[in-house]
Amino acid sequence: MKNIILKFLVLFVFLGFTGLVANENASTVELSAHKEESYKTQPMSTMVMGFLQSTGISALINPDPNELNSHGKTMSDFHKTGGRVIMILITFLLFYLAIKKGFEPLLLLPIAFGGLLANIPVANMAGPDGFLGIIYHMGLSNQLFPILIFMGVGAMTDFGPLLSNPKTALLGGAAQFGIFGTLVGAVALSQYTNIFDFTLQQSSAISIIGGADGPTSIFIATKLAPELLGAIAVASYSYMAMVPIIQPPIMKALTTDAERRIRMTTLRHVSRLEKLVFPVMVLVLAILVLPESTPLIGAFMFGNFLKESGVVERLSDTMQNALINIVTIFLGLAVGSKLSADQFLVPDTLAILALGIIAFSVGTASGVIMAKIMNMFPGHKINPLIGSAGVSAVPMAARVSNKVGMEYDRTNMLLMHAMGPNVAGVIGSAVAAGMLISFFK
Amino acid sequence: MDANLVVEGLKFMLLGMGTVFLFLIVMIVSMNIMSTIIHKFFPEPKSAISSTGNQAKDNKKIIAAITAAITHHRQG
Repeated sequence: MKNIILKFLVLFVFLGFTGLVANENASTVELSAHKEESYKTQPMSTMVMGFLQSTGISALINPDPNELNSHGKTMSDFHKTGGRVIMILITFLLFYLAIKKGFEPLLLLPIAFGGLLANIPVANMAGPDGFLGIIYHMGLSNQLFPILIFMGVGAMTDFGPLLSNPKTALLGGAAQFGIFGTLVGAVALSQYTNIFDFTLQQSSAISIIGGADGPTSIFIATKLAPELLGAIAVASYSYMAMVPIIQPPIMKALTTDAERRIRMTTLRHVSRLEKLVFPVMVLVLAILVLPESTPLIGAFMFGNFLKESGVVERLSDTMQNALINIVTIFLGLAVGSKLSADQFLVPDTLAILALGIIAFSVGTASGVIMAKIMNMFPGHKINPLIGSAGVSAVPMAARVSNKVGMEYDRTNMLLMHAMGPNVAGVIGSAVAAGMLISFFK
Repeated sequence: MDANLVVEGLKFMLLGMGTVFLFLIVMIVSMNIMSTIIHKFFPEPKSAISSTGNQAKDNKKIIAAITAAITHHRQG
């Protein structure tokens, strides 16, 4: 075997040299006739050197001093060399988390692979002419993809549980305190300490992670702080994936044993007409109160309306499956393109990850506390465990409420009760997003 | 100028949370009104419930048949 390879190598080198000589002879003859300007013949040694210089190894060791990042700015040498290697290793870690640990693999895998591609030297795929850059400009920088995702989520959402117990919508509102509380915290820390220095826009874009809503986070980040998009999207999706780890300790710390065993009254039957009127009604409210939130709420309710209408099965099916899957691939790759070393390996990223988890925890806690406050008033009691579902990670947060509830009472099914605040959380975070955008108008 | 940002943040919080709750409260009220109207003027036909009743009866028949078959089989 080794022999054959060796023979091939010798043959290859020999042919190369003869070809080279022949080429040189031929070129001297035909030079006057053809006047080839674009391609100049080079001696073999120069070509080999040129090839060696264009390898990834050489680009990682001796970076091109004139190489620009995807925004056309200069990068530090670290971001061209070791930084890229670190980022590629980070994407491998994300692969592991997605495949082995099952952390939101549908999004984490495209994002991580996009990040891997974006960190390849020389190829410059995340640049404006690379395919990642083209996808980014096609739908992410203009907020198209998050809106399309919202349509699909709308087509998958069932508002029945919310309609049968409307007051649980307040829990979805309370959980948005995670967003605004963190906003104040981030601004205060930027102001009075030297840990980090975020502007008001950046702080808003970071704190929206507390809504636990990936598309909304991306929507806001591209509008208010596109330079932080990669870190915000990664933080948002990884915390959504870690809902079953982050939420239960907070929920247990804030509730008593008796509260966790509260049984809720069974949900009444919701008629089809109610489900059909509801999306239009919410959209009308959004139009009247906060038109700034209508891109998100409008797309969401459009998807839901098609589903509930029951006459366009094909369209609603496309939205729930084909469309959302295609957009997810593009969205993941486009977000991944922002994971290039020069944008991700900055101190701000750590601050964003830290603020994100605070926002998320505060949101969970305020949902639970809101449920306890509501229990002080007369009426049907609410199990505070469903308060945590007010963050809009649908349906993960509701499943967590159900699971924690079952730990204390095996027959207490909270899933459908928790879906109410869960979908209200989606509406709530869309409203919060609309407010944040309107502040900066 | 320096202290402004935090005050701005607090303003955002008050206004933001206020709007979110206002929106949801209005939504809850209109949901209740909508449900009342729909239940009053457009009640759902009760056919769905009666059909499930029939199904339950059918199930009982099937169960009876299966039990009979099993006892027969055991005796045989």
